[in-house]
Amino acid sequence: MIAQMNRRQALLGMVGIGGSVALAVTAGAEEHPAHPVAAPDAVAMLYDNTICTGCKACMPACNEANGLPPDTLLSGGLWDMPTDLNSKTKNIIKLYEEPDSSAFCFVKRQCMHCLDPACVTGCPFGALEKSGWGAVTWNSSLCIGCRYCEVGCPFDVPKFEWNKWNPKVVKCEFCYDRLKKEEQPACTAVCPTGAVIFGKRTDLLAKAKERIAGSPGKYFESRVYGEHEAGGTQVLYLSKVAFDKIGLPKLGSTSLGHYATKVSSVVYKWFSGPVLAACFLGSIIKKNWNRHEAERPEREKASGLRDQL
Amino acid sequence: MSARDIAGITLINHWQRGVPVYREPVVTPTLKVLAVIAVIGLSLAAARLFSPLSPFSGMNDAYAWGIWKTFNVMTLTALGSGPLALGLAAWVLNREKLHVVMRTALASGFLFYSTGLIALGIDVGRPWNFYNALLPWRWNAHSAMLEVAICMPIYCAIFLAFETLPMVLERFCYTGSAQTKATLRRLFPKFRRIYPFMITGAYVLPLMHQSSLGALLLLAGNKISPLWQSPMLPFLYLVAACVCGLGFVVFLLCIACLRYSRPLDVAILSELGTLLSGACFGFVFLQLADLAIRGQLGTAFRFDEMSVLLLIQVALILVPGIALRRRAARETPRTLLNMSIFACLGGMLYRFIPATIAFHPAPNATYFPSVPELLMSIGYIALATLAFGLAVKYFAVLPGNIAEWNYMFRRIGRTQQPVLRTQ
Amino acid sequence: MVAAPFALAITDKLTPEAVAAELGKAIRPPVIWLHFQDCTGCTETLLRPSHPDLGDLILNVISLEYHETLMAGSGRQAEQALTEAMQKYSGKYVCVVEGSIPTKDNGIYMKLAGRPAMEVLEDVGGKAAAIIAMGSCASWGGIPSADPAPTGAVGVANLLPNKPIVDLPGCPPNPYTLLGVVLQFAAYGTLPELDHERRPKFAYDRDIHEHCPRRAHFDAGRFVKQFGDEGHREGWCLYEMGCKGPDTHAGCSTRHFNEIPDVWPIGIGAPCIGCTEKNIAFRVPMFKVIQIHTTAEPPTTYAPIIAHQGKVSPIAAGVVGLAAGALAGAGYVASRKFSNVPDDESIPGSTAPKDSGNTPGGPGKDSASNR
Repeated sequence: MIAQMNRRQALLGMVGIGGSVALAVTAGAEEHPAHPVAAPDAVAMLYDNTICTGCKACMPACNEANGLPPDTLLSGGLWDMPTDLNSKTKNIIKLYEEPDSSAFCFVKRQCMHCLDPACVTGCPFGALEKSGWGAVTWNSSLCIGCRYCEVGCPFDVPKFEWNKWNPKVVKCEFCYDRLKKEEQPACTAVCPTGAVIFGKRTDLLAKAKERIAGSPGKYFESRVYGEHEAGGTQVLYLSKVAFDKIGLPKLGSTSLGHYATKVSSVVYKWFSGPVLAACFLGSIIKKNWNRHEAERPEREKASGLRDQL
Repeated sequence: MSARDIAGITLINHWQRGVPVYREPVVTPTLKVLAVIAVIGLSLAAARLFSPLSPFSGMNDAYAWGIWKTFNVMTLTALGSGPLALGLAAWVLNREKLHVVMRTALASGFLFYSTGLIALGIDVGRPWNFYNALLPWRWNAHSAMLEVAICMPIYCAIFLAFETLPMVLERFCYTGSAQTKATLRRLFPKFRRIYPFMITGAYVLPLMHQSSLGALLLLAGNKISPLWQSPMLPFLYLVAACVCGLGFVVFLLCIACLRYSRPLDVAILSELGTLLSGACFGFVFLQLADLAIRGQLGTAFRFDEMSVLLLIQVALILVPGIALRRRAARETPRTLLNMSIFACLGGMLYRFIPATIAFHPAPNATYFPSVPELLMSIGYIALATLAFGLAVKYFAVLPGNIAEWNYMFRRIGRTQQPVLRTQ
Repeated sequence: MVAAPFALAITDKLTPEAVAAELGKAIRPPVIWLHFQDCTGCTETLLRPSHPDLGDLILNVISLEYHETLMAGSGRQAEQALTEAMQKYSGKYVCVVEGSIPTKDNGIYMKLAGRPAMEVLEDVGGKAAAIIAMGSCASWGGIPSADPAPTGAVGVANLLPNKPIVDLPGCPPNPYTLLGVVLQFAAYGTLPELDHERRPKFAYDRDIHEHCPRRAHFDAGRFVKQFGDEGHREGWCLYEMGCKGPDTHAGCSTRHFNEIPDVWPIGIGAPCIGCTEKNIAFRVPMFKVIQIHTTAEPPTTYAPIIAHQGKVSPIAAGVVGLAAGALAGAGYVASRKFSNVPDDESIPGSTAPKDSGNTPGGPGKDSASNR
């Protein structure tokens, strides 16, 4: 089936393959580790829905800090009433009502600023990147609007301006401009009850665990959501009801970037995979092409016509 | 009996070289209808370039990819992987017979790819930033999307175009001016010298981007049903491309022979049938092995929506695999046609489902393409079909008998021409 | 508000008979007003309303038998008035208590005519038809009961749990609350509906926060950060200055004081200190920010956890269905044109049988003969 290779070629091929694979495997491993580690200066938000009263002060504060208009579509132009994160809403308070009961609680949704974000892994030209302090920011001059970030994000966070000709990808950017001025994000600054607070990720994780230890049985599963989910996020949640009831999906502790690039990071390291394939296929094709060309005069004589390529 | 290898030189019964379609008027009612559909689709596409996406599509934030990306690119370029599958079979596995039908595969593949890339270009929301593709320091090497966005245009515009050039340039060897003919005569030897390297690229690049199309879906994680989400997605997408590519070439050859009243060549079709059967078996084995290793075989037989879809898709590929093992079946035209249709449908389903029907981003989210979106998608397909329908008349694409070959090509502009037979 | 319509109706009339006729069967219920550990603020507050004003109240509406601040007499004359009223109206009078009652050391810290307050209360209150505990001190102990509570001050209900008591906490409570209770008793002989802390529901069933005029500022996140800052001048929400409004049940946010709108603590820029609530007033520091426990039902304008996205256009579905059907049909028709016979290389769609020799030229052979 495959044209015979001589021993020298076979040996070279094996060395080439073996060497490349070894190099690729060793070099490709760190890019997306299975369990990412937060940068030392990583900031975070801690949201505790046992404290949140649903006042929604964080929503107009966010709109104002980001220059976004209120989403008045459903309120007849009267007030900001989005039903989900969208191209005018980077941060939203949602209500969870327990069925068959009058119990309820709130949840604040915005970008989770994952430690190893799927959107950053997928963005072709790096328009979404993990910037200073771990904030995930969007750069309009690099974005081609392919919306792969929307497909990849496990929290369904990035939103697209479908109804604009110059569409932006809209999502919370941790008030990056304010972070640069050493200010807190607008939502944590305005929260009257301290339901959402800002700080270093290590500090907030410790504080969250203190709260859990101090009130056993108060928080769902006595754990912090975002400590390990999707490899860890920089927005942490404490909730009195199940996380998936308030819309926070059940996720494993490996990042999507790791899962998606496990094989490709090895195959494409230093382009070794394609180069190997090209060498391998190319050597066979060249051999067959040479034979095909050598047989061409006979064919042309037998049919009386020029060979078609 | 039909052709068999005689004294090392393959003599084929009916398909001996590419022959243009002579006895058909260029403009037929079908082509007129296709032209109308294509014009509608392309007008909408042109309008979309000056408009936001929302009036032209039903995409939303949950389903951010509509049918342009998932059907026109992901699914139809699988059908357009004929050049890859056939090329590997002909040049790497030494199936000499298949050289004759390469042109059909190339023409259809090139048209599927180019219309798919047009669809992709109209689909992106900020196309003016695409120049970043020329600046490698801005590339995110981890992104499967980058790989597709760079590799596919390079493949289509350089390597596939190079492979398609001979059939286009050939007519000018006969209809061109003396200067053109002289240039071409000088050009062809150079062409031949770089040909093996170019076709190596033409097989390596699709290996990369067809698997990257599958790798795109890896990032969606649990949003894709566990029956489809798997680390094997890239590899399975590649094998599905081979299945679809082979299946579509068989289908196209049969339908073209029906349409243009040409005899079939069972030897070549049977060869293709063998390859198709092998590819189908290979695919089903890999898919089922993947399901078994991931412990999802039980889920596959739950007979809920996802399970039924999967079983239908597996059946559509398995049945041709089994049916085409028998030589008698491979040499029966109707069986070949039906099985190739099944294989194509199965492969298309495999490529389409994980990105759309098995993609569940949020509980209450739905998506269905809007009417303009559908019209644009159908318009691109109509354009490809129309272009193919014209190409077979102006270029020597479809395989035919040497006796049919008469060294003449139609002049552009005139419809029916008397066909002269000169040496 | 109960008081206003009654009061307006009453004060038009000048003669007691006319008042009596207006009120119906009740004739000027007798009221005995006791002062214990008080500041007299709850009496003071009665000077403010004008519907009815104090004069109308005590001359036309009720028969005030004993009131240390208002009565003309003092000393033994006052004692005598009390004793006579108790005897004459025993079981029929309303006892209003102002001020808390000390209980430590046998209650020696407040004595009335040499008798400890506890004893007086038991005596006077015991014979009353109903007791109104006017003010926080009488309701649950008030300021004297603040830590360290050296006198063991308690409210009326602690000492007379089995009497019908209406608590009107507040420091002072809004006078119209008392007037409403009294006038209802005078007109119908009944007491208003009470909550679990014996407070009339018409005045105490909602908290300040629910009807606070500054609620919009709270909802929009506009808070005073420092007394005198710009927000304070703009009249923004005082929650961050320690306003206890969210946890305080009283009617102050709708019924302001002194009959001038916006004259009430929050209205003049002072955070509510929760003077009606026994767990808050004089216990929780005035400027300490409290936790808010939303007890109200959330409005329906919150975003649901799962929002709906996308829609299916029926026309598009129809188009797809038609296209799929057409393709399937065409595929079937096309396949029928292909021969079902193996090794048949004839032109598809031609009616010629397989070995008819119809196949055009070339070095082909008859299929049949070469098997």
